[in-house]
Amino acid sequence: MNYMPGTASLIQDIDKKHLVLLRDGRTLIGYLRSIDQFANLVLHQTVERIHVGKKYGDIPRGIFVVRGENVVLLGEIVSKESDTPLQQVSIEEILEEQRVEQQAKQESEKLKVQALKERGLSVPRADTLDEY
Amino acid sequence: MYFGPMSSSVDPALFFSPSAMGQLNFSTPSHMTQLHPQHQRILMQQQGKQWAEVFSCASVSPKKLWSRKADPYAGLMTSKEKDWVVKVQMMQLQSENMDDDYYYQTYYHQLERKQAEEELLGRRNKPPKLVTPFIQKVETYDSVVRIAGSLGQVTVSTCYSPRRAIDAVHHALVEEELPPYPVLFYQLFLQLLEVEEVQQKMSMALREQQPHREEKKTQKVESIYQALKIRACSSEEEAEDEFLQLLCVRKGKKLMARLLPHLIREQREKILLTITHHLPFLMKKDMLDESLPLLYSPLNEVVGEMTFNRLIEVLQELTRPLPESSELPLTMALKNQFGISLLYSLLSHGERLLSSRVPLKPCRGDFEAWTDTVYLMSQELSRLPTTSLAEPLFLPSNLVLLFCRYLDKQTVYHLAAKMTE
Repeated sequence: MNYMPGTASLIQDIDKKHLVLLRDGRTLIGYLRSIDQFANLVLHQTVERIHVGKKYGDIPRGIFVVRGENVVLLGEIVSKESDTPLQQVSIEEILEEQRVEQQAKQESEKLKVQALKERGLSVPRADTLDEY
Repeated sequence: MYFGPMSSSVDPALFFSPSAMGQLNFSTPSHMTQLHPQHQRILMQQQGKQWAEVFSCASVSPKKLWSRKADPYAGLMTSKEKDWVVKVQMMQLQSENMDDDYYYQTYYHQLERKQAEEELLGRRNKPPKLVTPFIQKVETYDSVVRIAGSLGQVTVSTCYSPRRAIDAVHHALVEEELPPYPVLFYQLFLQLLEVEEVQQKMSMALREQQPHREEKKTQKVESIYQALKIRACSSEEEAEDEFLQLLCVRKGKKLMARLLPHLIREQREKILLTITHHLPFLMKKDMLDESLPLLYSPLNEVVGEMTFNRLIEVLQELTRPLPESSELPLTMALKNQFGISLLYSLLSHGERLLSSRVPLKPCRGDFEAWTDTVYLMSQELSRLPTTSLAEPLFLPSNLVLLFCRYLDKQTVYHLAAKMTE
């Protein structure tokens, strides 16, 4: 039963598998067990999924309690695990891939900043929490 | 998440998870009366529909029925808890004002319009009914609501008052807190600070400017002293006396401790006399705080300047019997740290006066009172077990000498051992 038609409510989503995107960029997948008025979430059998290119890796995390303000979006997962064009790899591999990706990003960022500096422009450091 | 009204196909999961059964037992909560009437209508309709569908199992295909496994962890959030969350969310929807919840209001207006249109198309003979939304006006409301059994508070706002910040401290626990300091305290402290400021300037400034500053200071000190309203009061009135009330609080004692050095001798002695007179009361009130020792140092100075006659007056306060108790104030004082320190200080000063060459100018009966006090002191000291004797803040060195004057060697030895233990 929809308690509040015309409004958004997570009551319908209880006990269903969800994908939650957090403000710090993490992606969590778990069963939504409990909520409150601030949309704080209790996720069960949570897995943190790291995506690098076409590969992804899952880190089992157990139970998560997420403060509502840190959630960017969440949505129910209906499709099965096999229904994805992405390739699942081991945790070690994906972490390595992530590290490589981060490094490459940092290098390119450094070059960018250098180039800008040479042209007399300086970009202020972005707030690390809300990096998009 | 679902936006808009539920379609008629019901999620099969609803039938087979324990939570669903709980959901279906949901009864209309009281807060629903505040909803938009259209909303209410829809909710009631849905309730009826759900019940019918459960029992008829009409819209479920057999395949879907058995494809789901039972989820052992389902139902962690009970229906009661879900209702609670919904209640909180609905509470925040209450408003007379369009601006408060635009989407909610707009949705229902549009829904009504659509339904009215459909009705119009269906039954052209009936004139359109004007349905105005009824929203009950709430005369008074609690801007911050505490729902029983939950942590934290929820804000409720109407167009009459904006959202109020949730109180950081819950006020139901006020009984356990101490009452706030009366305004007098702050006034006295401010005045005291001014006095100290002047004092500091005086000590640093040149001689020529002293008289003007001195006058200013004495004026201020006098006003503080008057504000204290020190007066004689009987033991029954102790709880109501303002000065004693001041002394019962730590801050009050601190104030006195800082004020005493600035007062004139007569005023200081009067304060000492008052404190000693009401010592049992003050000690009782200080049991939790244990802040009386704050007063020891300044009072010790006062004692050090007293005449023999005045000293006897103070000591007599401690030796007079109390109406409500069989114990003497002196005995009670021995068990209290401040009390025993004050006693020692008084006796020590007496001994100093006696052994000095300065003429004492005693009044009649003073010497008898003095020896009586010393005997009483030694008696109580030897009678009380060492464990009940409080440890003094300072042990004067001439007390043994004092006892030697009046008592035999053995008793003195015994007392000395007790005092130093």
